[in-house]
Amino acid sequence: MARFAMQVHGKRPLIFPKWVDALRPVVGGVAAIAPVYAIALLYYGGSPRTTDVGYMPEQPVPYSHEVHAGNLGIDCRYCHSTVEQTAHAAVPPTQTCMNCHAGIYPESPKLVPIRESFSTGMPVRWIRVHDLPDYVYFDHSAHVTRGVGCVECHDRVDKMETVYQAQPLSMGWCLDCHRNPDTHLRPLDQVTNMAWAPPGDRAELGARLREQYGIAPSEDCSTCHR
Amino acid sequence: MSPLAQRSFWRSLEQRADTPEFRQFVEREFPAWADEMLEPASRRRFLQLMGASMALAGMTACRWPVEPIVPFAHRPEGFVPGEPLHYATALELSGAAVGLVVTSYDGRPIKVEGNPDHAYSLGGTLAWHQAALLELYDPDRSQHVVARETGPALWDEFVGFARAHFDALSATGGRGLAVLAESSSSPSRADLRARFQAAFPQARWHEYEPLSRDTVREGARLAFGRPYRTHVALDRAETILALDEDFLLHHPAAVRYARDFVAGRDPDGATFSRLWVVETNLSLTGSAADRRIALPNRALPAFATCLLSKLVHEAGAKLPPGLEGLRPALEAARSHPVYGRVDADLVLDLAGKPGRTVVLAGPRLTPEAHALVHALNETLGNIGRTVRYTEEPDPDRPPHATAIRELAHAMGHNLVETLVILGGNPVYDAPADLGFGDLLARVKTSIRLATYEDETSRACTWHVPRAHVLESWGDARDFAGTVCLVQPLIEPLHAGKTDLELLAQLLGEAPSSAYEIVRRTFAAGRGEPDERAWHAALRAGVVEGSAWPDARPTLGTQAWGERIVAALGAPAAPGPETFELVFGPAASLVDGRFANNGWLQELADPLTKLTWDNAAVLAPETATELRLVQGDVVQIARGGARIELPVFVLPGQAPRTIGAALGYGRTRAGRVGSGAGFDVYALRVGEEGAWADVQLERTGRTYPLATTQDHFAIDTLGAQERAERAVTLVREVELEAWRHDPAHALHREHAVPPIELWKPHDYPGERWGMAIDLNACTGCGACVVACQAENNIPVVGKAEVARGREMHWIRIDRYFAGDPDAPEVVHQPLTCHHCENAPCEQVCPVAATVHDAEGLNVMVYNRCIGTRYCNNNCPYKVRRFNWFNNHKSESALEVMVYNPEVTVRSRGVMEKCTFCVQRIQHVRIHARNEQVRGENGRAEGRLIRDGEIVPACAQACPTRAIAFGDLNDPASRVGRQHGSERAYKMLDEFNVRPRTAYLARVRNRGGHEGAA
Repeated sequence: MARFAMQVHGKRPLIFPKWVDALRPVVGGVAAIAPVYAIALLYYGGSPRTTDVGYMPEQPVPYSHEVHAGNLGIDCRYCHSTVEQTAHAAVPPTQTCMNCHAGIYPESPKLVPIRESFSTGMPVRWIRVHDLPDYVYFDHSAHVTRGVGCVECHDRVDKMETVYQAQPLSMGWCLDCHRNPDTHLRPLDQVTNMAWAPPGDRAELGARLREQYGIAPSEDCSTCHR
Repeated sequence: MSPLAQRSFWRSLEQRADTPEFRQFVEREFPAWADEMLEPASRRRFLQLMGASMALAGMTACRWPVEPIVPFAHRPEGFVPGEPLHYATALELSGAAVGLVVTSYDGRPIKVEGNPDHAYSLGGTLAWHQAALLELYDPDRSQHVVARETGPALWDEFVGFARAHFDALSATGGRGLAVLAESSSSPSRADLRARFQAAFPQARWHEYEPLSRDTVREGARLAFGRPYRTHVALDRAETILALDEDFLLHHPAAVRYARDFVAGRDPDGATFSRLWVVETNLSLTGSAADRRIALPNRALPAFATCLLSKLVHEAGAKLPPGLEGLRPALEAARSHPVYGRVDADLVLDLAGKPGRTVVLAGPRLTPEAHALVHALNETLGNIGRTVRYTEEPDPDRPPHATAIRELAHAMGHNLVETLVILGGNPVYDAPADLGFGDLLARVKTSIRLATYEDETSRACTWHVPRAHVLESWGDARDFAGTVCLVQPLIEPLHAGKTDLELLAQLLGEAPSSAYEIVRRTFAAGRGEPDERAWHAALRAGVVEGSAWPDARPTLGTQAWGERIVAALGAPAAPGPETFELVFGPAASLVDGRFANNGWLQELADPLTKLTWDNAAVLAPETATELRLVQGDVVQIARGGARIELPVFVLPGQAPRTIGAALGYGRTRAGRVGSGAGFDVYALRVGEEGAWADVQLERTGRTYPLATTQDHFAIDTLGAQERAERAVTLVREVELEAWRHDPAHALHREHAVPPIELWKPHDYPGERWGMAIDLNACTGCGACVVACQAENNIPVVGKAEVARGREMHWIRIDRYFAGDPDAPEVVHQPLTCHHCENAPCEQVCPVAATVHDAEGLNVMVYNRCIGTRYCNNNCPYKVRRFNWFNNHKSESALEVMVYNPEVTVRSRGVMEKCTFCVQRIQHVRIHARNEQVRGENGRAEGRLIRDGEIVPACAQACPTRAIAFGDLNDPASRVGRQHGSERAYKMLDEFNVRPRTAYLARVRNRGGHEGAA
């Protein structure tokens, strides 16, 4: 068993050394600041600065989702082709860009990194915008094949010149939807339609779709954490 | 006498005697060091640190790290980033391959499984197949060519040297050139060898394996005039006799044989075989035996003779006409001291069952004994039924022991000027009397191809890094001759070369790439290159129809009949002052080649449960006689050679013998393996590598051994009341009792129905559960390493294992039963039972371990604050605590081994088996995604099929002992097993409602003992 070797002064055991006495006046001050510190910590923890809402890194190529997905109306799945099959909505290979840009703006200086990558075979290093912690295992296919539209998490990407993080992507935010999915569901054929508007009451339609698609979102830890 | 000593099952002699050491393991969660945090100095330091970390808490993680996304420039067709791909390949060990399927994740191999389409895997693996992955990412692997005089060199520099050197050699026809290669069944290597010998007719080619099966081969040569390979059908035999043959672990066909063996022991089937094992060291096969006889190794050949004699003289077996030459030997055997050790039950079990028995013999027996085993099988009428033969490849090859001696002789006479060593490690494992290291120093030019810059490479003038099997193109034959293709999963990480590439380079021949060489060999037998056949073979991993045809050799006794009589004259037991040291392979390091593999070093030996060490294994009666206890260091002397070994007392070892595992005590293995254990090769001198007469002397010193045999011992002590309710953790039934009345064979006790404290939960969807068949489990340990690979489980090292801090999520408890000198063994894999009333959940102050809707007991790492209450309250002791950040100092190479689907845990959190929740989720999501968009637009996934979700442990198991599935489906495999009369739940009386059921082991002792 542990033996506590303590100095004994008079009857009271001395747990702390003498110099601690000098700190006694400070204790009051610390006690006064503590609640403020705690509140500030909580506020900071939940602020967009922490959750990274609005994060808009500069990409190596000034690719505009507004032009491609918005003005030109290219379907999300043309580039993010694996979104219905697997966890990752893969960022397209350079090849996908060159399918069009071999003919369109073939000389554009903005596309230099793309053309370089295409000829050398070296990848373009994009910057991840929607970055979940490594212990979170989000699966795109499980959402887009159940009637959760891209826009629910990514917002109107078709109106973003540069993509930024629009939602907090926090666990509480995920759970809000998992607990009340009705207002986030849409018909399967409208999943990639950024501009889709419900023809009537969203919640009512959502409840019907939830029943129809057999959607029962899990709130278990093991659903996302492994 | 304590209550335990009366019970039948025990894990160690310490438990049986209920010593203070064992009590400590039971009563203290983490023995020996558990109170280090309570030392006053460290407590104060702890408080200081706590204060500091509180203050700093808000300052960390101000910014997310910037993470790049790096897509392909040109994505290969059909490639889906983040979706695992599987490729067939094969791993060859000592000349026999086992087919594998390797999982690749974004181009990075992360998991090895058996190839279900390969007859010698059937989806199962052994521990070293699983651990091959860790070797791929081992930072100690040699990374560049080394010229002994000038240091690291480039491959091109070596090529320049080799071209000039071998051009000069070809002028003389290769005089003074020799090759020492490890055994290989590769058709491409055989082809290159033929080309090599054509180019250098004067060159000598030698092959050496330290743990060779050449006695088996030479025995067949004696018996049949030519070497033949024996194949046995263990699933069809009613009686199996294994003479020192560990066919469940150390056999080229072990994975397949284990499956066949278990298939022949279905308690609900028509036949249930009885396994007799006669051996010296307690082997894995010996632990599966129904009846076992422990004899000194030298007595085993005589045992075979006496058995045949007894069969002929007492059981009326008819000696086939060709074997008349054995009459004098059989007559002489009747007065042999071992004659009486041939159990009458064994004779009864073998006689009069033509074609329904089988006798196997292991590589430690003499060639004459093997010839006699062929005679036994012939007499018993097994040949053509349970025993068949194929021709051995390369029949004129001298035995390994002879080959290395010839080479050493030539080196000693300065006849070797250039030596090429392909793999192996002769400086470490060649017979010690050869002094191979000194001889190698006399060779002017020595070129070594090896995975590590090891003992041998350091004595060579050139070292060339060898490509890992997962980086190589190649081919190899399995035990029956079927060609398996070896395909790479990744480009060589360190520019390693394969045997084929090096040989082609030395020949100066084109093609020089291993791929083209293998394609050439593949096309050779086919007339024209067949693209479709190649791709089909590559996909399947095996080349259909390439197995060797059966042969029907004729048995004669001319060559060896006389020698049997002579052999009977030799003493059958060690002399009064000597002990018999029996050399054996290390359970997981084999001959030492896997010494730098942390997974295998930390995998406990299935019998001794030792990690990171080997020992001198003594029988309890021998240890008592010598007044030695576990951990005492003894000096073992053979002639002038002497080594020191710690003692390990293991029930089942033959009296007056010492079991010693080779493969430890490496000096240049790498950071993991160097210095672990003791080098027993130092005592292996001469041609006979099976056993040796040695002297044993105590040194008075002790050595700490890290054995896990009493770790996580489940507390079955307590009140007499509870003891009477028979808390039996392992159960077994006698076959006769089972057949007579399955419903009552298990002697279930009628416990008082427990009072529920909580309303039980409903599990309307899937209810995941597991069933472990103790009758099928051989205890090989493949599941432990498979789990380690799948779930990113760290290696903690010997010191931490000794403190009971190993991290394995699944462990195999090994229990002995009965007499310590002739014990019976049960292996019991144990992992989290995912109790429905989980005691761990009830004590967690922060809800870090909770149930999900399917009844998985999930561990939420981010919530865990490390109180370890859960572990304290777990009756099965399956929770593991991260005492350290075990992943802190890992290089970019080492982290590549991790499964990206599983979180890497940090310091201070609990972890435990998840039932491979990542595999469950993967299957579930894909099943749901496979939508049927019907007429009404319904999006419905399909149901998850039974057997679709396979946890890593179940997938690796050679015998399919572990079943997993939905307990709500009574027709599922696991559902049926839970409903079996053999099923029982461990510690069910605690009302924890475990989701894992065990199926009781069935013993088929038969005879007089069995009736008792």
